Amino acid sequence: MPPLSSTDVRRLKLIAMVLAGGQGERLYPLTRDRAKPAVPFGGIYRIIDFTLSNCINSDVRRIFVLTQYKSSSLDYHIHFGWNVLSPALGEFIRTIPPQQRITESWYLGTADAIFQNIYTLEQERPDLVLILSGDHIYKMNYRAMLEAHFAKNADLTIACIPVPREQAKLFGVAVVDTDSRIIDFQEKNPTAPTIPGSPDLCLASMGVYLFNTRTLVREVSIDAKTDSQHDFGKNIIPKIIHSHAVYAHDFMDMNKKPIKYWRDVGTLDAYWESNMDLVAVDPLFNLYDPDWPIRTAPHQAPPAKTVFNDPWPGGRRGLTLNSLLSPGCIVSGGFVENSVLCPGVRVEEQARVTESIIMDGTVIGRGCVVHRAIIDKGVHVPDGITIGVDTRADRDRYVVTDRGVTVVPREMRYT
Amino acid sequence: MATILIVEDDDHQQLLYQEVLQEEGYNVIVARSGKEALELAQRVTPDLVVLDIAMPGMDGIETLGRLLSKNNQLPIILHTAYATYKDNFMTWSADAYVVKSSDLTELKKEIERVLAKRGEGKK
Repeated sequence: MPPLSSTDVRRLKLIAMVLAGGQGERLYPLTRDRAKPAVPFGGIYRIIDFTLSNCINSDVRRIFVLTQYKSSSLDYHIHFGWNVLSPALGEFIRTIPPQQRITESWYLGTADAIFQNIYTLEQERPDLVLILSGDHIYKMNYRAMLEAHFAKNADLTIACIPVPREQAKLFGVAVVDTDSRIIDFQEKNPTAPTIPGSPDLCLASMGVYLFNTRTLVREVSIDAKTDSQHDFGKNIIPKIIHSHAVYAHDFMDMNKKPIKYWRDVGTLDAYWESNMDLVAVDPLFNLYDPDWPIRTAPHQAPPAKTVFNDPWPGGRRGLTLNSLLSPGCIVSGGFVENSVLCPGVRVEEQARVTESIIMDGTVIGRGCVVHRAIIDKGVHVPDGITIGVDTRADRDRYVVTDRGVTVVPREMRYT
Repeated sequence: MATILIVEDDDHQQLLYQEVLQEEGYNVIVARSGKEALELAQRVTPDLVVLDIAMPGMDGIETLGRLLSKNNQLPIILHTAYATYKDNFMTWSADAYVVKSSDLTELKKEIERVLAKRGEGKK
């Protein structure tokens, strides 16, 4: 079968549905005022930008984003930042809040989110539905998945990533035969079977599903009439592998590193770590590859700036090392290392910021020490404050994660 | 005795289905519109609903969704003169789709089948 061209993909009757309704409770307080896909990431991005960029780069250009909780900033981001397709050509990125057309509850699970939007599928009548999560950081070529789906004549193809056997307990694991057909699917089972020929690896589901529409609609409609958890991983997939052609697809990673990169930034520690994956000299996750650009809402801001070069140590010296520095930042006589600074951050003299994520418009006052911290937007940290050095003391005032990352909520006041 | 709610706007058909299903031994109640069906289903909790699609006001597809939003396990058979709705995804959450005919054998068979399935689920 010949590979699909860009034009081939655009001509497919394919729509993407991005599930962007999760509450993201384990990312609290970053999700106190925003949906998880709208949480800032990597300086200038929001988490959902990675999935949407994958779509655009794969020529998937009919995209519905299913929003739900606290969707206002996500909605704004998509309308303002992703108004890049031409509805006149049948291409779009549209957000859909819950319509309560066939139920009075909010989405009960991933399958219920699709069931509640069957009206949209009926209006569009696609042949294929690509179900994506708005919560994941990865670079995936969905075109390769489409090719695999057609080659296997599958009803459902599930994108998977090989993970060390010890991590099977964290994921839905696909048990496959030598033809990649899924013969069993085990949700978060520490003793799930390994990949044939690779006794140390399991095949973890990435929550990326390519369905033939009729199979999808049939199955979510049946599931809706049961009292299951209405979840693809827990209910739909384990059931339909026995009756349908369900295949695993080892995803085509466009990150070009020896180990495939895919992260569900579901917890504060995972969020902090995947931001740190960006700052290394040879970053695990590469934002700078022009072959697979990650785009976001354009941000108007002056260039980032460092100020002061007094004799050092002792004097004021604006210094930023191994860090991401977004537009509008001013490092004014402070020291920043291994950190991610979002737009408009200010680091005042003699302040030290290390291994931290500082979000838009936050000011780190003179002489502050900030280590292994996440400071949300619009915080004015007064002069001389220490964050993340004494995590025991921090626990009285902030959220501190299991791995000792201190999190300061948005617009926290220090008076 | 199973209670069947018939939702049908046409008087003659209403009478026909009511008589035939009563002969079959079912307890039958009738609603003339989607709106009435929603009210009745709340009050009576039928064991099965036979639902017309083309009705003035709220049509059967909308009624189907609203009935399921109140009780997602309520068995519903769509019963319509048109075969075209069968391919409409919105109708796929019904338990059966029967095209109206003067011969009611299929309707009776489907009612029996859906009720039996439901009975199994309860065991």
